[in-house]
Amino acid sequence: MKTSNIRNFSIIAHIDHGKSTLADRLIEYTGTLSSREMESQVLDHMDLERERGITIKAQSVRLSYTAKNGETYMLNLIDTPGHVDFSYEVSRSLAACEGALLIVDAAQGIEAQTLANVYLALDNDLEIVTVINKIDLPSADPERVKKEVEDVIGLDTSDAVLTSAKTGIGIEEVLEAIVTKIPPPKGNADEPLCALIFDSHFDAYKGVIAYVRVMNGTIKPGMKMKMMATDKIVEVTEVGVFKPMMANVAELGPGHVGFVSGSIKNVKDVRVGDTITDADNPVAEALSGYRKVTPMVYCGLYPVDTSEYDILRDALEKLKLNDASLIFEPETSIALGFGFRCGFLGLLHMEVVQERLEREYNLSLITTAPSVIYKVFKTDGEIFEIENPSKLPTPQEIEHVEEPYVKAMVIVPNDYVGVVMELSQEKRGEFKDMKYLDTTRVMITYHLPLSEIIYDYFDRLKSATRGYASLDYEMVGYRQSQLVKLDILLNGEIVDALSIIVHREKATYRGRLLVEKLKGIIPRQMFEIPIQAAIGNKVIARESVRAMRKDVLAKCYGGDISRKRKLLEKQKEGKKRMKQVGNVEVPQEAFMAILKID
Amino acid sequence: MMKIGLYIHIPFCQQKCLYCDFPSHANLTHLYQPYVAALCQEISDLGGVLSGCIVDTVYVGGGTPTVLNASSLQQLLRQVGSSFSLAPTVEFSMEANPGTVDQEKLDVLRAGGVNRLSFGVQSFSDPLLLGIGRIHSAQQAREAIHMAKEAGFDNINVDLMYGLPNQSVKELQDSMMQAIQMGITHISAYGLKVEEGTHFAKMQQDGTLQLPEEEVDEAMYQITTEFLPANGFKRYEISNFAKPGYECRHNLKYWQYQPYIGVGAAAHSFWQSERRANIVDVLSYIQTIQNGQSPIEICETPERNIAMAEYVFLSLRTVQGLSVQAFDQYFQTDFFTHYREVTRILVEKKLIVATKKQIRLTVIGMKYGNIVFGAFLPE
Repeated sequence: MKTSNIRNFSIIAHIDHGKSTLADRLIEYTGTLSSREMESQVLDHMDLERERGITIKAQSVRLSYTAKNGETYMLNLIDTPGHVDFSYEVSRSLAACEGALLIVDAAQGIEAQTLANVYLALDNDLEIVTVINKIDLPSADPERVKKEVEDVIGLDTSDAVLTSAKTGIGIEEVLEAIVTKIPPPKGNADEPLCALIFDSHFDAYKGVIAYVRVMNGTIKPGMKMKMMATDKIVEVTEVGVFKPMMANVAELGPGHVGFVSGSIKNVKDVRVGDTITDADNPVAEALSGYRKVTPMVYCGLYPVDTSEYDILRDALEKLKLNDASLIFEPETSIALGFGFRCGFLGLLHMEVVQERLEREYNLSLITTAPSVIYKVFKTDGEIFEIENPSKLPTPQEIEHVEEPYVKAMVIVPNDYVGVVMELSQEKRGEFKDMKYLDTTRVMITYHLPLSEIIYDYFDRLKSATRGYASLDYEMVGYRQSQLVKLDILLNGEIVDALSIIVHREKATYRGRLLVEKLKGIIPRQMFEIPIQAAIGNKVIARESVRAMRKDVLAKCYGGDISRKRKLLEKQKEGKKRMKQVGNVEVPQEAFMAILKID
Repeated sequence: MMKIGLYIHIPFCQQKCLYCDFPSHANLTHLYQPYVAALCQEISDLGGVLSGCIVDTVYVGGGTPTVLNASSLQQLLRQVGSSFSLAPTVEFSMEANPGTVDQEKLDVLRAGGVNRLSFGVQSFSDPLLLGIGRIHSAQQAREAIHMAKEAGFDNINVDLMYGLPNQSVKELQDSMMQAIQMGITHISAYGLKVEEGTHFAKMQQDGTLQLPEEEVDEAMYQITTEFLPANGFKRYEISNFAKPGYECRHNLKYWQYQPYIGVGAAAHSFWQSERRANIVDVLSYIQTIQNGQSPIEICETPERNIAMAEYVFLSLRTVQGLSVQAFDQYFQTDFFTHYREVTRILVEKKLIVATKKQIRLTVIGMKYGNIVFGAFLPE
C-alpha cells in the first residue's frame, strides 16, 4: 500500500471516557473482526486491565477502511497506557503516530491526565482530532466541553466529532476524520532502515517481539537488525502486523506499524523508545526521545511463607520478561527474611505487579510501604542513593538528604480550590500556578515531594474533592529536605521493614498515628507488646497491646469435638497471614499500615 | 472383647440457663414419655449391633436427665441393663440438677445401677445462681448432695463455674470450699464462655452483661488450678479435678480417642474412626425411631491429618498428655515425622514439654491451650 493511504494514530482519553469502547467500535465497523470474534474491549488483554478499565501495555491494531472517497486506507491504531506511571511509554507510542484522537467525555470535560497526554501529543507534532464522546448521556453538554477544549488546549473544535461509542453514533465520522485530517506518514523506502520501538512483549517460542513503527527503509526477515541503544544485533526472523492477532507479512515499509522478532532472549535488549536500524546499512543517528526508564517507587516484596522465596523469584523473572521497567534485587530483612526490593514506575505499576504475582502465581506476599529514592550526602563526603528507608545512616553521619520533587497539576471545579490548596500545603507543597480552564474549572500547579504523592496525596485529594479532582505529575528533580528515619519497635526490637523516612516536622504526628494504627492491627498475644516509634534513640510515641489473659476452650467433650475443631481452625486461619517477628506475630497488613493512615 | 462407652442424651430442662448452648429444651414435657420410649428403642437396636462389646462407662447427660420422673428413669436404666453387657466395674454417671431430685428418685437411680452423680451446681451463691438462670438455690444444692450420699452415692461430681457476671474471686473460692467440705470426689471448674445464640450473647450485644475484668477472670482460673489440688483434688484435665482414682473414665474416653456410642437426639458417636451424630430435633428424632429408621444424621470419617490433629489436641487436654507410642500405634506412623517442627516451636515457647515418649502441656500451655491445639491442625 502506498504511504499516502496509511494513517497512524493513537487515542488519548481519561479513564472511563470511553477509549476502549470507541476502539472496539472502530474495529467492528471496519470489519477487522467479525462480531463473533469481538470480545468486549479487544485491546485490553489482561484480566486485570479489563477489571480496572486501564491499559497497562500498549496494543496495536491495523484496520482497513474504505473511505467515502472510494480509497482504501490502512489505519494503524496504537492504543497507549493511560496512566501517569507510564507517561514515557505514552510519549513513545505517540511518537509512532502522526495523529491522535482526543476523546473527551461530553459530561465531564477535560481531566488532568488527558491534558498531560495532549501536551505530549502536541510536543510530538501530532494532528489532534477532537471527539466528544458519550453524547447520549442526559448530562452531556458537548458545546461547553468543546469550548473548554478550545480555551484550555487551544484546539479548533469547530469540526469536533460528536459520538456515542456505546450506542454507535458517529463512528463513521470518526473514521472519515482520521482519513481526512491526520496526515499520512512521510518516509522513504530507499533510505536506511529506521524504526521506532514503542513496546515489546515476550513470547515463549519466538523470544522478544518488538512493536515497531517504521520511519524510513524496509524491514524484512533475513536481514540483520541493530538496536541502537543496546548495540544488540540479531537476524530478523519474522515481521508482521496486528489484525489484532499477529499475522506475518513479507516486509514492513515506511509508515507501517507492526512487529519484528529475531531470536532475542532478553526484553532488556528491546527498549521502548530505541531505534532499530539495518546493521549492514545503519542510519547515522537514532531517533530522538529515547531514555532509559528508571523506577520511581520502591518497595520490599516478601513471601509470607518463607519457603516460597524461589517461586517469588521465578515469578518476578517471568513478569520481567514482559516488563523491562520492573526491576528487583534480593534483599534481606531481619523481620521478614528473604525477599526482593522492587522498583516500579509508580504506584499503579506497583499494585499491578503485586496483584499479578498474587493472582497468576498464587503467592501470598507482604509488601512494605513504598519508598522513593533518597540521595544521602554523608559528612565524610560520600554520596549515595537509598530506596529502602532502613538503610538511612544515623543522623550523625548525615550531612543532608535530598528527596525527589514533582510538578503536580490538579484540575478541579472551583469550589474545591481551597481544599486542594490546603491539602497541598499540608503535604509540603510549593504553590506554582493557578488558572481557570473555563468559568468553573481550575488547574492548580504545585511542586510536591514525590513521597507525599505516594503516601496518601491522591486518596486524600479524591476524597476532599468528592472524586472531582484529577491529577498528573512529572519529576522536576531533587531537593534538600529535613528528613529523618522513623523506626518502629515491637517488644523493644526495631522492625526494619516498618521503618519510614519522614519530614522532621511530621515525624511525631506520623509516629503517633502509626503506633495507634499498629495497636489496632496486632492481635493480643500471650504477653504485653509495647509498640514504639523512635527517631534514633528517642522514643516519640508509644502504645501497647495488652496481653491475652488466657486462651483455652474450657470444655471439649464427645458431642462437640468436630465443632471445637472447627473453632480452632477458624482461630488458626486468622493467624495464617501472620509473620513471626521476634516473638511477636504480626499480620501482613501491618506492613502496609504506614500507607493507610487517615 | 471391645470396650466401649455409652452416652445417653436427655434433651430436656425445666428452664434453659442463660449461658447454655447445649441441645436442650424447656417446655417439652409432653415429649418426655415418647422420647424415653424412642431412646429405649434405639438402645435396644444398638444392643444387638454391639453385642460383641462390653460397655465399661455409661454417661447420661443433657439437658437434665433428672427432669424425667422416677419411673421413666427406671425404664431407661432397665433398658440399658438388658440391652448391653455392662462391665462389672462399669462407671455409670448421670447428670443431675439439684432442683430436680428427691430421695425417691435418687434411690431409683442407685438401684438402677447408676454409681456416679454429676451435679450442676455452678455456684453456692444465690444471687449468682439467679443471675445465670439456674432453677435451684445453694441450699437445694447442698441438700441434693446430702440426699445422694444418703442414697449410697460415693462418687459425686460438682460442676462449678467462674467468670460469671458479678462473681468475685472470693466467691469462687468460697464455692470451691463448700463443695470440698461436702465430701465429694470430683470437681469440674468451667470458665464461662458466651456462646453464640445464647441469652448471654444477646445481653452482651445489648451491653447488659457485666462480666468480670479479664484480670479477674484470669485470677479465677488461676485459683481453681491451685486451690483444688491443694485440697486433694488433682487436676487431670484442663477443667477437671478429682480425688485420686475418681477421674471420670467416661470423659477420659473422649480425650483418649477411645470409641463411644451416643444415643438420643443430637448424641454423637465415635466408632471405628467414624464420627456420627444423631438428628438434633427432638420430635424428628422420635418420629424417625418410630418409623424404624436410623436416627444418624451425620456420618463422616475425618481425613487422616485431621484425625491425627484431633487425637493430639484431645489428648493434650489431659494433664498426662499424649503418649507417643499410643499415637504411633493408633495411626501406624511416627508422631515426630509429622510434628517435629511444631513440637520444637511449642517447646521453645514453653507451651509444651516433650520427650520421646510423652507430649504434654506446661502450666502456661494449659492456659493458652488453643494456641497449642491450633498449631497441630493441618494448614
